[in-house]
Order: sequence, then C-alpha cells, then structure tokens
Amino acid sequence: MKSIIEVRNYTKKYGDFTAVDDVSFSVKEGSIFAFLGPNGAGKSTTINTLVTMMEKTSGTLIIDGKDVSTEKDEVRKAIGVVFQTQTLDEKMTVTENLNMHCVFYGVPKNEVKDRIHFVLDLVDLLDWKDKSVSNLSGGMKRRVEIARALLHYPKVLFLDEPTSGLDPQTRNKMWEYITRLQKEKNITIFLTTHYMDEAEICDHVAIMDNGKIMVDDTPANLKRRYTKDKATVQVKNPALFEETLIKENFSFKKEKNIFHVVVDIDDIQQFLDLIQLFKNEVKDLEIKKGTLNDVFLEITGKEIREEASE
Amino acid sequence: MRTISALWLRNIRGFVRDRVKLVTSLVIPFFFLYVFSSIFKTDQVEDPTAFLLAGIIVATVFQTSLNIATSTIDDTVSGFMKEILVSPTSRFKVALGQILSAATIATAQGILILIIGFFTGLRFNNWETIIYVLFALMLVGLVFSGLGLFLASMVKSASTFQVVQQAVVLPFTFLSGAYIPIDFLPKVLKFVSYFNPMTYTTAFFRTIMLEKGGLPQGDLLKLGLAFDLNGFIITPWMSGGIIAIFGALFLYLATNSFVRADFNKISRNPLVRR
Ligand SMILES: Nc1ncnc2c1ncn2[C@@H]1O[C@H](COP(=O)(O)OP(=O)(O)OP(=O)(O)O)[C@@H](O)[C@H]1O
Ligand SMILES: [Mg+2]
Repeated sequence: MKSIIEVRNYTKKYGDFTAVDDVSFSVKEGSIFAFLGPNGAGKSTTINTLVTMMEKTSGTLIIDGKDVSTEKDEVRKAIGVVFQTQTLDEKMTVTENLNMHCVFYGVPKNEVKDRIHFVLDLVDLLDWKDKSVSNLSGGMKRRVEIARALLHYPKVLFLDEPTSGLDPQTRNKMWEYITRLQKEKNITIFLTTHYMDEAEICDHVAIMDNGKIMVDDTPANLKRRYTKDKATVQVKNPALFEETLIKENFSFKKEKNIFHVVVDIDDIQQFLDLIQLFKNEVKDLEIKKGTLNDVFLEITGKEIREEASE
Repeated sequence: MRTISALWLRNIRGFVRDRVKLVTSLVIPFFFLYVFSSIFKTDQVEDPTAFLLAGIIVATVFQTSLNIATSTIDDTVSGFMKEILVSPTSRFKVALGQILSAATIATAQGILILIIGFFTGLRFNNWETIIYVLFALMLVGLVFSGLGLFLASMVKSASTFQVVQQAVVLPFTFLSGAYIPIDFLPKVLKFVSYFNPMTYTTAFFRTIMLEKGGLPQGDLLKLGLAFDLNGFIITPWMSGGIIAIFGALFLYLATNSFVRADFNKISRNPLVRR
C-alpha cells in the first residue's frame, strides 16, 4: 500500500516555543492512524498544519502527492476535517449547514440532496435534518460535523479528538461510523486521541510527547516491543516455587507470599509448562496483557492523563 | 458565484431570524428622529423632518453596514470561519459574499425607514428620485460594508473590537451632520468633520433625497449640502465622487486584508469551546 500522507522533518514554532520538533512519519492509504499524546503534545498543531490552516516553520508535508504549503487548494479538496473545537453554524439548521459545505466544495448541484441523505443516514441523524444546530446535543453536533466532512468524498479524513466529551455509548457509535467508513469507502483516517482503548483499534499509532514522536508502529508491535504480559501467581509452597523460578530464569518480584512473575510473550509456553508442574499448588492465577498504557508509561515515563483510563 | 450567493442568503437569513436585532434596528432610528428633530427646526430648512430623516437613514445604513464586522467576528469565534477557510472556496468570494449581504441588509433598513417616512409626510416631487435614492443607499451600504470587513480582518481580539466599533461609530455619525448640522459643531470638531467620509455621504444623500440638486451654490452652502474649504466649494456631486473613491479604497483594503487575515489568531472566548 502506498503512503497518502508523508511528513518529513516537520517543525512548528510559536515564537520561541517549539510546539512540534522535527517530526517525520507517513500514513498508508486506507488505514486508521492515531496520534496519541497528553495535553500540549502538539497533536492539534500537526493537524492544523496538515489541513492548511497553519504555516509550518520548516519541513515537508505531502498529502496525496500534493504539498500542503504550496498546493493548498488541491490539498483542501482531498481532505475532510473535523477540528478539535466546534465549527458548525449554530443559527442554521443541520441541512443548511450541510448545504453550505456542498457549496464551498463545489459538489454538483444535482447530487447535493442525495449526498446529504447519505451522510445523515450514516450518522443516524436523518430525523434531525431540519432542526437548528443550536438545539442539538454535543454528541449530535459532533456527528453532524463528521457527516459534513464526508460530503465531498474526501480521500483523507482528519479528526481532532472526535470522541472527547462524549458518553461511552456515543463514543462506541462514533467508532462504528469511523471503522465502517474506512472499510466501506477506503477512506484514510487520521485522528488524535487521549484514549488508549481507542488507539488500540487503529492500524497505526504514533505516540507524541513534548512535540516529538516517541514511537510509531502498530499497536500489536508496540505492545510486543514495550510491554510484557504479567502473571500474578499464588501458590501453597512459595519457597519451592521461588526456587523453580530462579532455576528456569524467570524474572519475578515477590510480595509476601504472592508471586508477581513477569513473563515475556515469547515464553508463554515455558510459563505454561511451569504452571503445569505446579498445577496442584496454584491457589490463584491472573494473567494481564500489556496495554498501550504500559507502552506509554514505558516510553514517556508518565501516565497519560487520568481521564484517559476509564 | 455559488459561494457568493449562498453566503449572501445565509447572512440575510441569519439577520431575519434574529428578531431582536431586527426590531431594535428599526426602533432606534425613530428614537433619534424624536430626539434630534428640534435641532433642525431652524429657518433655513423648510422641511426639517425630512432633512433629519435623510441623515438618520444614512447613519442607520452606515451602522448596519458596520455590523458585518461583528457578524464576521462572531463567525470566527463560533468556529464557522474555520469551516469556510479550510474549504477550497476562494477567500475573495467569501469576502464579497459578506460585503454584499451586509450592503443588502443595510439598504433594506434604509428602505424600511424611508417607507415609514412616507407615512410621516415625506413626498418626492419627481418619481425618479426614488431610483436615485435606492442607488445612493446601495452605494453607501457597499462603501461601509467594505470598511466593516476591513476592520474585522484587522481585529486581534473579539472583545476589544466592541470598543473599537464604538470608537468608530460615534465620531463618524455625530461629526457628519447626520444628526446635528456641522455648523453647530465647535470649530475644531467642524474641521475634523471634513476628514470624515460620512460628512460627504450625508451631504450627497440628503441632496438626492430632498431633491436639492438644482439649487444654486449659495443655497447649498447654507443648507450644509456643499462645503466651502478655503474658497474651494465641494458640491454634492463631488461628495458623491469622494464616497466612491473611499468605497473603492475600503473594498480593496477589505478584500485584501480578509484574504491575508490569520483567523487563527483572533482570541476565542474560552466559554465557546466545547
Ligand atoms: N496559537 C498558539 N500560540 C502559542 N502557543 C500555542 C498555540 N497553539 C498551541 N500552542 C502551544 O503548543 C503546544 C501544543 O499545542 P497543541 O494544541 O498542538 O497540543 P495538543 O497535543 O493538541 O493538546 P490537547 O490534547 O490539549 O489538544 C502547547 O504547549 C500549546 O500551549
Ligand atoms: Mg489538541
């Protein structure tokens, strides 16, 4: 698969402050790519530069073969954007908002009605089409914005924190739309999020902190590389168990008579054999898979902010 | 064209839906008519009410045109401007759509006051006057919508703009002869008023609306429709030319600075964020 977004040595400074520092990455066509990072990491700054709303300080940013700084209109035609802050026309109805978007993007007049129907159906808002935007809830407004961004059939959809401030049901729904779009329309989706579980669903995750991309890989690879599965074992005869662990070269930590055994994913067979050996001894056993949160912790040395883990 | 007409329609709709704005903008002119009518009751003017009404129409069209700035800033603060600017539509067309809709709304306001004026006894001797008046209103609307958009694209913060707007509106209207004849002003202010484009706008519009175009220069001077600048007489028609020049300048500045404006910089009210 070819790359639809190419970013090389991108730097953005606000005055003296470097918000994004010499960042390079690429996004494969048709994939879901997530920027994961704490507040102020530089996620929105990167998105705003990619969508032509902000000038870079240096570097090269290419979308679908077009340069973001010099071929702005070409880039704008190819992308759909949902900003972090709301950009709806509150005084107008949902349909009027969508209509206006079709005008701005030059959607052929005879297709406007069908497309509006199509996108509103996608986000389950057909019943609300003649309501004023100001009467909609926050989640509905977000859905209208996503629907709107799809009207001109963009190749790449940028979503800056599409699910922040939404309740769990609405969040799930939102992800249903996003994954459906990717599968059915082969749209490339570039999004930012604070939520680990959301990043987990994506094809590719870049972890950003202090304006730098720390790592950039698939969630599975990241977890393989930076986390280990942990098993917590409780046995009747800790002394014997400990002895065996040392003999078999497991790394472990002992707490009272509960053993925390840290197991590498490659060694899962070896660990099972060990448990087999002690099968009449084991009182309790819990295996925890490594999460992106562990990856994040491992890489940045800090927990992503609290609300991310729910 | 589609962008311009769609934006135009949107702004008109927005204005019509905003009942409070609509009503206050119609009530205030009559408040002024009531307050200032005594000032014009001098012996030079035989129809003081019409004289003042013409001034009030110009002042209203001027102020309504400037509302373009407020609505453009509102669109920026609400985020809608971002939706426009991230689209491939041309900024120049967006600026034109904004200006044309503001000019339309302003002209419509002028016409409404004019209509009510007919009920209070305003009469034209020649029927063509109504056409000239309409054209003059549109010209005034366009000129000051241009100024309004120019101000809006220079603005750095939404709250300071409120102050800027007041600072522009008050001197522009009160030092123009619209409400108070400039002969009544202290010498310094009278001098300042000669640099005010609204002064010429008022004189030009009054001449047309009151059908005074044919009067000899002496009478025009006495009525404040022509100005004597150290012996150089500015006739009402020259005033028309002056407005047209200001208009071209404002429109150029407005579209130019709107196309370049960095709307990311306008500070947002934190409460508007989601
Ligand atoms: N217009 C601006 N002027 C100056 N500094 C800015 C500006 N916009 C952002 N910054 C700074 O740049 C850094 C990155 O901001 P950015 O909005 O890209 O972060 P983010 O990763 O999107 O954070 P969040 O998760 O809170 O949305 C922050 O430290 C922020 O204070
Ligand atoms: Mg952000």
